[in-house]
Amino acid sequence: MSDTRTALRDVVSIVYITPENAAIGEKNNFLTLSLKTRNESGEEETKEYDRVFLHRAFPFDHPEAYISVQDADKNEIGMIADLSVFPEDTVVLLRRELARKYYAPQLSAIISLRDRYGYAYCTAASDAGEITFTLRDAARSILKVDEHRVVITDIDGNRYEIPDIEKLDRKSFKKIELYL
Amino acid sequence: MEKRQSLTGRLAALDSSIREEDVLLPLPHLLSAEIGRESVDGIAALLKERTVVFVNGEKQLDIPNEEIEEFVFRMGIGCVFADCRLKNGEHRILARADMKYKDLYAAALKQMSRYLKGEKIRYDYEEDLDRVCPKCGRPFRPGATFCDHCVDKRKYLARLWEIAKPYRFYIYASVFLYIFIAIVNLVPPYLNRILVDEYIQAETKPLWQQFLLVILSILGVNLITRLLSMVRSLTLIEAGNNVVVKLREMVFGKIQMLSISRISKRTAGELINRVSSDTSTVQQFLTRELGTTVEQLITFLAVSVILFVYDWKLALLILLPMPVVMFLHRRFWRYTHRRYNRQWTLNAKANTVLHDIFSGIRVVKAFGMEKREEARYDEIIAAERDTSISNERFWALLFPPLNFLMGIGEFFLLYYVGSRILGGEMTLGEMSQFSAYVSIIYGPLRWMSNIPRMLVRVMTSIVKIFDVVDENIDVSDAENAKELDIRGDITFENVSFGYDNTANVLKNINLEIHPGDFIGIVGKSGVGKSTLINLVMRLYDVDEGSIKIDGTDLREISQNSLRSQIGVVLQETFLFAGTVYDNIAYAKPDATRDEVMNAAKIAGAHPFIMKLPDAYNTKVGENGHTLSGGERQRVAIARALLHDPRILILDEATASLDTETEKQIQDSLQKLTADRTTLAIAHRLSTLRNATKILVLDKGTVAEMGTHEELMKKQGIYFGLVMAQRQMSRMSPKNTANTEENTSAS
Repeated sequence: MSDTRTALRDVVSIVYITPENAAIGEKNNFLTLSLKTRNESGEEETKEYDRVFLHRAFPFDHPEAYISVQDADKNEIGMIADLSVFPEDTVVLLRRELARKYYAPQLSAIISLRDRYGYAYCTAASDAGEITFTLRDAARSILKVDEHRVVITDIDGNRYEIPDIEKLDRKSFKKIELYL
Repeated sequence: MEKRQSLTGRLAALDSSIREEDVLLPLPHLLSAEIGRESVDGIAALLKERTVVFVNGEKQLDIPNEEIEEFVFRMGIGCVFADCRLKNGEHRILARADMKYKDLYAAALKQMSRYLKGEKIRYDYEEDLDRVCPKCGRPFRPGATFCDHCVDKRKYLARLWEIAKPYRFYIYASVFLYIFIAIVNLVPPYLNRILVDEYIQAETKPLWQQFLLVILSILGVNLITRLLSMVRSLTLIEAGNNVVVKLREMVFGKIQMLSISRISKRTAGELINRVSSDTSTVQQFLTRELGTTVEQLITFLAVSVILFVYDWKLALLILLPMPVVMFLHRRFWRYTHRRYNRQWTLNAKANTVLHDIFSGIRVVKAFGMEKREEARYDEIIAAERDTSISNERFWALLFPPLNFLMGIGEFFLLYYVGSRILGGEMTLGEMSQFSAYVSIIYGPLRWMSNIPRMLVRVMTSIVKIFDVVDENIDVSDAENAKELDIRGDITFENVSFGYDNTANVLKNINLEIHPGDFIGIVGKSGVGKSTLINLVMRLYDVDEGSIKIDGTDLREISQNSLRSQIGVVLQETFLFAGTVYDNIAYAKPDATRDEVMNAAKIAGAHPFIMKLPDAYNTKVGENGHTLSGGERQRVAIARALLHDPRILILDEATASLDTETEKQIQDSLQKLTADRTTLAIAHRLSTLRNATKILVLDKGTVAEMGTHEELMKKQGIYFGLVMAQRQMSRMSPKNTANTEENTSAS
């Protein structure tokens, strides 16, 4: 019975980029990719990409897995299922590219958070120093993405991350608790 | 945000070979282009001959401008990039910064690319970006009409007072009545004392007549306060309702005048709040809270004076603990507010879950997920129950002791008064009068602890209302806008447009359309088809170039005259609550029954309407008869045709119809469109069979234009779309009749 069935993966499948079929390098500060694929007639061919971009498929759940590799027009070339299977120097390159695209200062303490006329003004201590930002509708801008992590999006579209809400000091926690 | 002049100066100081007059456009470069999280102090700048990047005082890049093809704005997540593409195909990152710089980067890079093409750099974008409060120097938040930090509350109150001008008499009258009633209310305790001391406890036999007079006075005072309260209520009703209606008209009118781009920045819920609940809050304040506050203050002052005059030691005994009690009350209120807020949030969440499940009930049932949804709801109401129990317990255990503590002053009072009565220094009547005043004074004190909260709430509403009222109208009629009798020529001259600064949806569009033309617009999703017709309707103004109708720029035609001659059927057909007839006659309320039926007939709506039990009088919209997607579309087409438009715009107007109905409608439309201009967007190419010209959009530009035959000969994008459609219909021979027409062009 089961061998006559068509599974989803038989119809379409995601191209996975692995250390076996791909080489990821660096040129002029950008990621390059050379990928071995099979063309329609089944012959093996190598495609070279001068500059590729990364996009996380699950930015909150799996920041280091399921990373889409795209060309300049945002077309997916393939997907990296897990960063850690690549050699150390490639991982460094990939991590650097991700950190460059995804910028979110990590907050270590909330110094003040005040609601005023429907906007909230926050001053916080972060790894980028003390920062002040404005939120439109605090309850909607402060998002608990999992048990511990909180992501805050400000009025300009900047992101701020609290890696572990439980580890905040009591005063900071009390300020933000109302909106969770 | 650092100013251009300051950046230019810093740049010249860094490198003596750079002269300030050579610096065309400097950009702040604040985040490392190499290490993701690192902040840097950098400047990237377009000079006359080259482009340079300095990081922490060191020159990092120096590229001659002739090697650069274009400057590219790129969005990261939480940051933005200024890139450049070189003529040899390579890329460089020039600068990176957080999202605050998004608009600056996007606009500046656009100008930098213009310079490469030999055009002049325009700095007018800086006016939009450089909005700082003139008072405190803090930047305005996007879209704000005031600085949140130094908004002058008195100014807003004064404006509100101005709006209430015609009804001021009523407000004055009610405030006066509040004061008057407050004073009259102080009389009964005094009369009570007389009653007790001079009659009930009298040592000599009192006169019945006088006794009756005192009783009647008490009755009279009571009667007067009741009557005055009634008058006060009437004045309040008059003032309150008129002010709220005026405010609502103002906010609603303003929202209607705003362009789609301004309106879509806010959600429908937010706008509803502005129109209904914020105005109610202001009404409450003007009519109740303002008067009550004055009343309470007067009461407080009057009773304090009476108490001090009567016995200052006693007055001190009562008033001294008051600050402490008020402080405790406030702290207590804050704490309970926090707890109840949590309960309220959970309750809102539970309601959201319910709403979610019920609106998606078909999906829930289709996937057999009833048990899981039940569990999801159970979980959230369990959490709500726990919080609620904890709150009730807290309330039950803490409130009585607190009340006891707050009332402890009264026990001291009892002791003091009691000992004075025993010592013969005070009469029983005096005691009753005193206790009455003491209990009266507690009211204003409690009220006063609420004043800050009340003020914040009403100010928030006032500021939010004026935030909408003060918004700039970006698509407005020119001063002497023309009323134009449209023939139907439409010309696009070098039109570029983007919904925001970051990307142009349409780039340099040039078109000429004449009456009688049926223009079919095709292209992939998101390519700018709907944007193009939005611009013709002037829902937005073009960024560059111009659109002309019969040779007149759209911006010089009155919007009313323009839109009354355009008929539109949009992708999402919206029916208002009302009858089928109301919905068709929406844009021409004075239409005759025959006109409506004719329009419905051309739109192919008449046959199905006549099958409905109540035909044209059938209620549709929310809670009404549910029409199918195709039926709604036909009603929408009839609506667009009714006022006999010179320009007809169809955005996927027949997408939910079966092919046979579509063909019928098209054939009748064709007769109608002979001397009009028609613009039709369609994914189904068959929809465009009557098109005189086909316009293929690709990446925001006109990629191909011509008749069906011309484009087929050209073998370009259109040819590809038609071929894909034919291939699709071959793949399913059984359904040829349907799928041939149903192929999606995307």
